Amino acid sequence: MSPLWSLALAPLPLTGVSLLKRAWNEPGPERPWRILGGWGLLAAAIAASVPLLGAVRGPAAMLTVASAVALPFVGAGVERRDARKKAARELAPEPSDRRRVVWRGWLRGFLAGPLAGVAALGCGLAVAICAPGQIQSRMVIGGLIVPFLWAGGMAWTLSDNRILRAFAVLAGVSVATLGAAFLKGAL
Amino acid sequence: MDGSTTAASAKRAKAPKAKTGGKPIWPKIPADFVRAMLAGHSALGLAFAALIYLVCFSGSIAVFTYEFNRWEQPAGPVLYDAAPQAADAAFRAVLAKNPKAHDLFIRLPEPASPRLSVHGEDAKGGEHTYLFDASGRLAGEQNLPWSEFQAELHTVLHLPRAWGGFVVGLTGVALLSSLISGVLSHPRVFKDAFAFRWGGSKRLQEADLHNRISIWGLPFHLVVSLTGAFLGLTTIIVGVLALATFKGDTSKAYALFRGPTVADDPRPAARLIDIAGALESLKRQYPHARASYILVQHPGDAGQHASVNLVTEGRLSRGETVVVDGAGKRLGEVGYESGSVGVRVLGAVAPLHFGWFGGWPVKVAYFLLGLGLTTVTSSGVAIWLARRRDKGRPAPRWERVWIAFVWSQPVAYAASALVALVAPAPPVAVWGLVTLAASATTIAWTPAVISARLRLLSATLFAGVALVHIGLHGGRFADPVAWAVNLGFLAAALLIMGSVYLSRPKPTAS
Repeated sequence: MSPLWSLALAPLPLTGVSLLKRAWNEPGPERPWRILGGWGLLAAAIAASVPLLGAVRGPAAMLTVASAVALPFVGAGVERRDARKKAARELAPEPSDRRRVVWRGWLRGFLAGPLAGVAALGCGLAVAICAPGQIQSRMVIGGLIVPFLWAGGMAWTLSDNRILRAFAVLAGVSVATLGAAFLKGAL
Repeated sequence: MDGSTTAASAKRAKAPKAKTGGKPIWPKIPADFVRAMLAGHSALGLAFAALIYLVCFSGSIAVFTYEFNRWEQPAGPVLYDAAPQAADAAFRAVLAKNPKAHDLFIRLPEPASPRLSVHGEDAKGGEHTYLFDASGRLAGEQNLPWSEFQAELHTVLHLPRAWGGFVVGLTGVALLSSLISGVLSHPRVFKDAFAFRWGGSKRLQEADLHNRISIWGLPFHLVVSLTGAFLGLTTIIVGVLALATFKGDTSKAYALFRGPTVADDPRPAARLIDIAGALESLKRQYPHARASYILVQHPGDAGQHASVNLVTEGRLSRGETVVVDGAGKRLGEVGYESGSVGVRVLGAVAPLHFGWFGGWPVKVAYFLLGLGLTTVTSSGVAIWLARRRDKGRPAPRWERVWIAFVWSQPVAYAASALVALVAPAPPVAVWGLVTLAASATTIAWTPAVISARLRLLSATLFAGVALVHIGLHGGRFADPVAWAVNLGFLAAALLIMGSVYLSRPKPTAS
């Protein structure tokens, strides 16, 4: 029965997303209440899943189900346009127009890939070696922050137009964290 | 996520437009910051597009790995429970084939995988998995070439394990990075929450698709990319940790997560480890748990021991692993459910990544959201191509290459499954050749023709897989999941066929 609880609870996020959709469609005095109700129902679904599906498993299952049930509402609101008509010109933000210089491209790739990776590994190592707590916890938390910090470093390096600033920060973080980790050197 | 829906022209802003009204509640993000983020998002997405697409598509399919295992060998024996004595008999039967086996892996029946099997080496070192009936009698050998192919494509891309894991992990990092830059470059995340315009401007259409799926699926996207990157990069992370702390000895780092250790002792044991006794004893000690698998190491040696995995309903965990010695004495737990925070988190990573924690409703949601992420990747490149075209710098060759690659995967998957059903050809070779052949259509056809023809071909092949499977095994289906999987293939064929019909060019009125 347990897996079916996530289906039994699905009407809660379904109604929640439906309220949010109505709030989005129809601005009016009820709009704040619909937004509140929508998010409230999503939160209620997560809360209700805890006793029914487990303290960690329930919220994880409900977030997944809520994400899935929201998509049909997006699809249901599709606005068809005439493909033959030219759309009005849009002032959509364009990506920054950077000068195309080969060495900058390679340097940016080096920063986003290997250097951001080394800096992230350094942070993970520093947590695993220098942080307080049990060895296994430090290792797993240190390991989990590596992909997250690497991804963050990658996003920042590829976006920042000042390439030398990114280089300096990543190199500094790498030296500091790896230095601290290797100086301590034992778990 | 693309920012092309983030600002309408001044002219449009003045027009009475009720749907997107209301004040934005997201803090205003400076335009220069959004533009910089978009540049990074675009560069990263393009650099990793094909890999992210492949990993996301294969991951969506891999959610159903257990179901494919059952579909590929539907005759069973299907068991919903197995007595400890049956597991013990199965273990002894495989050990009799190779008394010098280094270790044996016994998988017990569970709801997602109702089979009793034992995996081990034969006397010549070849690996086999044998299936057993309810009394532990040998019923046949497991043969799952296609299921194994699709699982390995997702986890290691069929590269050597260390390299494949690293490439997939790095792809997870790139995906996570794209999610971060995508969210930061989307200042109207709430204002555009349900906006979905189809037709007209190709770029706007793809941007709406890209942004809506990205935002509503964000919790899932973050979880699978972070856990996937972690799983893929484990080898390198542990390697660096071991280098810093254990002079490069990774086994010492892994030993921290293996629970109680038993010293290697190759002398013959007085008696073989009693699997039935160990299971019965653990049942008394863990009354709410169900044993899912047992790894018996060094069977028959004085240092023989077993790691028994126990699953407790209601927990987001791979299960607790309990180590018992050769006499069946419980030595202790690894701690996946009772240990430190880190070990418990580690125990939750794999089920969270693969969606194996909430039964079939969560699996179906993972499959749909995974396909959503695949669509997001595909539309991201389509936005870039449309933007180039809008700016008068079209890239027709890349438009053909991308559409051919996108639609090559359903064709290649279906073709490899079909061939695996009827011939002993390795599925990875079929998949590779079909991917290449489908990609080669860029030479001859336009993007619209490539898309329509590859979709038609994949729909035909999916229907063919279901029909051939029913023709070959239909009379001997012991496992009802085989029908569900075949229905899934037929539904996929119908949906793809429907998409071709709906996107066909409309005749223009003359």
